Amino acid sequence: MTGAAATPVFKPRVETRLVYAHGLAAIAVLLISLLFGFLASLQLVAPDSFGGMAWLSWGRLRYDHTQGIMLGWLANAFFAFLYHAVPILTGRPVTSGRLGLWLFGLWNFAIVLPGWILVLGGFSQPLEWAEFPLVIDVFVVVALVLAVIQFVPPFFSRELEDLYVSSWYVIGGLIFTLLAYPMGNFVPELIPGARGAAFSGLWIHDAVGLFVTPLALAIIYFVIPAATGRPIFSHFLSMLGFWLLFFLYPLNGTHHYVFSVIPMSAQIGAITASTLLGVDVILVVANLLLSLRGAGWFPRDIGLRFVSTATVLYLIVSIQGSVQAQMAVNQSVHFSDWVVGHSHLAMLGFASFAAAGGLIHVWQRLPSARSNPALFNVSYWLLLAGVVMMVSDLTIAGLVEAHFWGSAAPWIESVRAARPYWLIRSLSFFPIAAGFLALFAGLVTGERGDERRLQSGAELTAAHVAPRLSRAASEAS
Amino acid sequence: MKRFLRMSYLVASLGGLGFFAMSVLLLGVWPGRVLEHQIRATSPSQPLPLSASETRGRAVYAREGCAYCHTQQIRYLSRDVSRFGRATLAWETIFDYPQLWGTRRIGPDLSREAVARSSDWQLAHLYSPRNLVRDSVMPAFPWLFDGAPDRPRQEARDLLAYLETLGRDRALAAPEGEARARAACNCSDDEKRFAFGSPELNANPATTRRKGDHPKLTLVQNPQHGQDLYAHDCAGCHGVRGLGDGPGATGLHPRPVNFSERQYTLDRLSAALWNGVAGTAMPAWRDLSAEDLSALAQVVRGFYAAQPEPTLPKDVLDLGAQVYGAHCAQCHGDKGAGDGSAAEQFPVPPTNFQAQRPSIAASLRALRNGVEGTPMAPWTSQLSEAELSAAAYFVRGFFQADPAAVRQ
Repeated sequence: MTGAAATPVFKPRVETRLVYAHGLAAIAVLLISLLFGFLASLQLVAPDSFGGMAWLSWGRLRYDHTQGIMLGWLANAFFAFLYHAVPILTGRPVTSGRLGLWLFGLWNFAIVLPGWILVLGGFSQPLEWAEFPLVIDVFVVVALVLAVIQFVPPFFSRELEDLYVSSWYVIGGLIFTLLAYPMGNFVPELIPGARGAAFSGLWIHDAVGLFVTPLALAIIYFVIPAATGRPIFSHFLSMLGFWLLFFLYPLNGTHHYVFSVIPMSAQIGAITASTLLGVDVILVVANLLLSLRGAGWFPRDIGLRFVSTATVLYLIVSIQGSVQAQMAVNQSVHFSDWVVGHSHLAMLGFASFAAAGGLIHVWQRLPSARSNPALFNVSYWLLLAGVVMMVSDLTIAGLVEAHFWGSAAPWIESVRAARPYWLIRSLSFFPIAAGFLALFAGLVTGERGDERRLQSGAELTAAHVAPRLSRAASEAS
Repeated sequence: MKRFLRMSYLVASLGGLGFFAMSVLLLGVWPGRVLEHQIRATSPSQPLPLSASETRGRAVYAREGCAYCHTQQIRYLSRDVSRFGRATLAWETIFDYPQLWGTRRIGPDLSREAVARSSDWQLAHLYSPRNLVRDSVMPAFPWLFDGAPDRPRQEARDLLAYLETLGRDRALAAPEGEARARAACNCSDDEKRFAFGSPELNANPATTRRKGDHPKLTLVQNPQHGQDLYAHDCAGCHGVRGLGDGPGATGLHPRPVNFSERQYTLDRLSAALWNGVAGTAMPAWRDLSAEDLSALAQVVRGFYAAQPEPTLPKDVLDLGAQVYGAHCAQCHGDKGAGDGSAAEQFPVPPTNFQAQRPSIAASLRALRNGVEGTPMAPWTSQLSEAELSAAAYFVRGFFQADPAAVRQ
């Protein structure tokens, strides 16, 4: 930090190899998870297409699809981002490069890969967002502890009041996930039935709300000032949004079991929190969009474009969430494809766009990494088309199913009516897969980064996401 | 100012953790305590836990992702209660480690699946769902079988055993258990209405019942509608030409009826469609309207291949009457109405010959070979060839055809 005048004034040490490793692992796992999802979706269109092979059956593929997306793709992309962002946010390197190798190895070769294989082999746990078997969960908890050790201490080397909002989201996301993960994965094995379901409901939402959302928002809050070269519109609003989010998110869980035997007061509490959460997201997104003013709806900087679209999708999916938690809506659309559309809007729309934007942003600032903006551009439009196609299709499918369920028609008619929509959903695989392939191609082709430009980029970023620190550094020089 | 900021962040951090703790306490621990209390108050004193086989079957259900398309949770909503039955009580899932409530319904809820379908239907359906339900998108599970639906491996048998526990405890406890739970339930009137108000514990329209009112069928004008329904709902087992040779017929005992060799009254068809046929794989179709059922009945009757009826000498008929009285009437009843003194003891009700007339060939075949999967045994060791034929002819005489106007 007290570098000599001749050397750059602010040179956070980024674990380049780990950014690479996690970035490429993220894409590899993503493509496989996509394939799992596609093969599962095909079976709703042509149920006997795999000749009754156990390991290719719908249930097992579906488990692997969602676990792969959350633990494989998003987590790896988040880690890649953190190895870039944490040193810039704190002015300190992460705790240990060697620890990083352990975390990488554990995450991919003790969690994602064996988890997938075990599920396909018939060892799993029938709990949503917790399908990997218990033995894998033990490794996840260990790895989450390592992640906290790796990424959180650098923040505490600084004054708390200096922390930029992304820092708070990183600290909060990692620590709360560490708390929530064991609750969702272990407690229902010990507490049966309705009582266990109350905890499952909490985890279903915490997985999205305390892991995926905070880290995706950390990326968005980081990339916007870094790419626009302007500070975030309001630091105060950022922090208000952050605290409200962490207060409200955990209280949403029971909205997955509305009209169940779980006490009505808990259900109503969760619905209230879900409503308020929508209000908070309006606040967060307003602040983000105000920070983006002047950049246009489709910014030229491709990382920023992904991130700004993620912001808009975040607003849509959150308001949709508030709406579908309402009893009047929930009673019809719950259990239907509407909800499947909602979760794809969240994970594929909001979170994956943020993760992809973060990855591109990081990649373009990685010495010697190639990047190809033209392919990123293709990727962006394909993914946007795929998301819109899939989510609107599933939303309509959900309404159709809800209509049949509310009538006296035999059950099978709701299945019959949904089949064309399931076909369209399967077809949406093609733009999405092509989009992610283009993203992958964009990360391995094109020009290599220029070290000098990268350095000035990091300084510029630091000036906005770690202002006091970079000022101190330049004063010291 | 700096100190103030630091303090406020510290307070907020603790507050954040406090809110997480609050979420766990308020939405996890506290509901758990309420539920525990409710379970104690409403549960039957000794609900049947899962046997070893049922527990293994539950693991198969869990690992194959069944809970991701089938809920086990009837919500406190009329749209759920009217389709599946009384809303799920907290104690019904006390043996579920972990819970299998589910958050998605592609197939129907299975909370009351225990008595809804016959075992051979369940196995045949697990083996190849589309053989029985043409438009189903359920995965087939052939790896639980040794190549045929009636050759289940241990895992399929375990899964079946587990399916047959779904809703079992609540059905066993009824009606006293229902009354007790209703009195003890600390719930609102609305919740009581959903949990106990519906006349049927299990509202699954496919659940067979031995007796019960059934709608009066009429003649229909549009034969195409019946053909469509038959192709979707019936042909899987009964075959496209009604010969009882559909792909789903394999593994069903007794086998699906061959309509070409049976003549039915409308009333009989209505009863079989509306109530199903107890003890067989024939489910009930109470989710179809009377018009639908009428259309189906017309299709089914159309398959009957009428043959010239021989006039029989009196001595053959007398022999038939004698054999029938001595060997058949205990079950099939003096007048062939399937209401003999022993009839009630059988899981499959004996044929009512007043309402259906088998062809001579079918009648002889049943007497010679028995009917697999029913109490009807082969009679070749007890009766001579002449006696068999005489009885085969005789039972056909009980048939009371519909009045000409209805018969067309």
